Amino acid sequence: MKKPASRSLIALSTSALALPGIAEADAPPLTSSLSYKISNYQEDDLSREQVPFGELERYDIDVHQFQFVSPLGRDYALFIDANHENMSGASPWFSTAGSNGQPVINMSGASGIYDSRSEVSLGVRYYGARGNIGGAIGYSEENDYRAKYVSMSGSRNFNNDLTTLTVSLSHSDDSIFPSDAERFNRVRHENKQASSVAVSLSQVLNPVASFQTALSLTGQSGYLSDPYKLQDSRPDGKTQIAFSNSLRYFFIKADGALQSDYRYYRDNFGIRSHTLDLSWFQNVTRSFKVVPMLRYYSQSAANFYTNIDDFLKPLSESQSSDYRLSAFGAVSGGLSFVTDFGGWSATLTAERYVANEKYSAFTVAQPSPGLVQFTRLSLGVNYAF
Amino acid sequence: MSTNLRHAGFRAMGTYCEIQLYEASRISAKRLVRRLIDEVSRLESKYTRYRDDSFLSEINRSAGNQAGIKIDIETQKLFEHARSCYEQSDGLFDITAGVLRRVWDFSRRKIPDESELEGLLPLIGYEKLNWRDDTLLMPANMEIDFGGIVKEYAADTLATLARELGVRRGLINLGGDFAAIGTQPEDRPWPIGITHPEDSTKMMSHFHLSEGGLASSGDYERSFILEGKRYSHLLNPKTGWPCSGLRAVSVAANLCTVAGSFATIAMLKPEQDAIDWLTDSGLPFVFMDGAGQIGGPGLTDSSY
Repeated sequence: MKKPASRSLIALSTSALALPGIAEADAPPLTSSLSYKISNYQEDDLSREQVPFGELERYDIDVHQFQFVSPLGRDYALFIDANHENMSGASPWFSTAGSNGQPVINMSGASGIYDSRSEVSLGVRYYGARGNIGGAIGYSEENDYRAKYVSMSGSRNFNNDLTTLTVSLSHSDDSIFPSDAERFNRVRHENKQASSVAVSLSQVLNPVASFQTALSLTGQSGYLSDPYKLQDSRPDGKTQIAFSNSLRYFFIKADGALQSDYRYYRDNFGIRSHTLDLSWFQNVTRSFKVVPMLRYYSQSAANFYTNIDDFLKPLSESQSSDYRLSAFGAVSGGLSFVTDFGGWSATLTAERYVANEKYSAFTVAQPSPGLVQFTRLSLGVNYAF
Repeated sequence: MSTNLRHAGFRAMGTYCEIQLYEASRISAKRLVRRLIDEVSRLESKYTRYRDDSFLSEINRSAGNQAGIKIDIETQKLFEHARSCYEQSDGLFDITAGVLRRVWDFSRRKIPDESELEGLLPLIGYEKLNWRDDTLLMPANMEIDFGGIVKEYAADTLATLARELGVRRGLINLGGDFAAIGTQPEDRPWPIGITHPEDSTKMMSHFHLSEGGLASSGDYERSFILEGKRYSHLLNPKTGWPCSGLRAVSVAANLCTVAGSFATIAMLKPEQDAIDWLTDSGLPFVFMDGAGQIGGPGLTDSSY
């Protein structure tokens, strides 16, 4: 049996490991870095069974993400993010009962929707000896939507930096001005606001394991409906609460780490959800890593969800046939390859997502005919200098 | 693409230093080395006792000041490690013992009067330092010296920084204080030669370091022999007289800072106590005793 470590070895190692140069305490990024990521998100086409007439094609989105991070002096860091998205396709417009009484979808944009969105944000963070604090402002624009947001967050380390408490606050103010409003009798100009607060606590359990728990509260108010749907009327206030837990464990023999996350969510639309995420980070060589991921998600339906729009119902009463408000379950799997060389690193990720009412952990009273299946591919490159 | 071993030698902390990195690109190796040298320079200019504008000199000037001096987190943690060394050595490793240099001059081979030493002993004692939160209140005429801690800490800091900058394999050597970043390719350890205390052109032993750090302490050049008696530059803070234990010791540990603390404390302890204490730690070590005999469990199978 191995001899237990001597009292002196424990005492001297403990005080040495607390030294900031060794402990990898909070510090701004050491180098500047520039990264670019391109992703393609493609929803599977619907079938003729689901959509008797018109377009079957759904959304196809290309996303370009740029990030620049740079240390500012010894204690500050600057973050600049810019995103640009191009989307095309169609989305469910309304749903009616088909000849057999089953819901069928009528798609919007027979000629196809083409839209783009641009977003930019700027953040600064200060790193102190016991934690960090920072804020960001952002702006996003598309032809029928504008969003402005501001966020702040601060972390403080305790207990020899083994425990970290983080508090985050954010607020956004969005304007909605649907296109072709007059022609389709849509709302002309609406607003919505969202504010959220989150508290998280992370704890290093031992040299190979860490745990994080977080609680977040979000309040939304204003126009929360989808202006492009024929009949969509949602309450003008929404309160969301999410509770998440994450455990990361490094297996020395396997030279890999398991990250597992569980999140519980509920809101006053009546939606409750469970998300379970598992990722395995496998080091293959010192500069090559493979990361398989698996996720299960399930939610209950909103109280006012219907899979067949009721056009006789007054707009003052809430109802929506948005598939995202129905009860369903979804499974997704993905694989990432990460490699680095000198100051360069590259990540290639492929992900497949399949939603189905059969996978639901909740009762499905009215299955949605419009659940999505999608494939996402992304390639990211990062250069540190 | 092949990854080559790049060397960079430079002077810092009053000694010869060397950084070895396995890095494919010469440009990025140069950039890394520059960043690492900047960090040694930062620590040197903060903690050197040879410059009036260092933070350590500022701390020492505050001795006797009623308001004390506010100490930053990094320095506070160095004090905490120093306290740990003080406790684990039963008061032999004391960062307040530097005042003894006021009367001991090893270059002039002069032995101080007993009365001179006695006048200094009341100025020594880690427990005499007072703290009010992050403010240090140091009694008048006391002095702090982070020798035996800062250079070792700098070696670990550089290794950590190099890892954060993406270095997978490398070796930091700050004048005999080593910190390894991984092994060499094919899991080969880093061979490290340990200089013979009596002849710097000869090797006393060698170690194979795979991870962690290695530090040495000894009365190499800075001791003298007068009338047949050897005067080590390592002074006992309780008596003010040189220690007469081991002549040299090298220790390997998880961190260079830990190895350095073990090596320094071992040099201050009586010979047999030092060997027993090092053996109890389970760490690999090599020593030369007062009679010039070389031994230690690090001698033959010297891997860490």
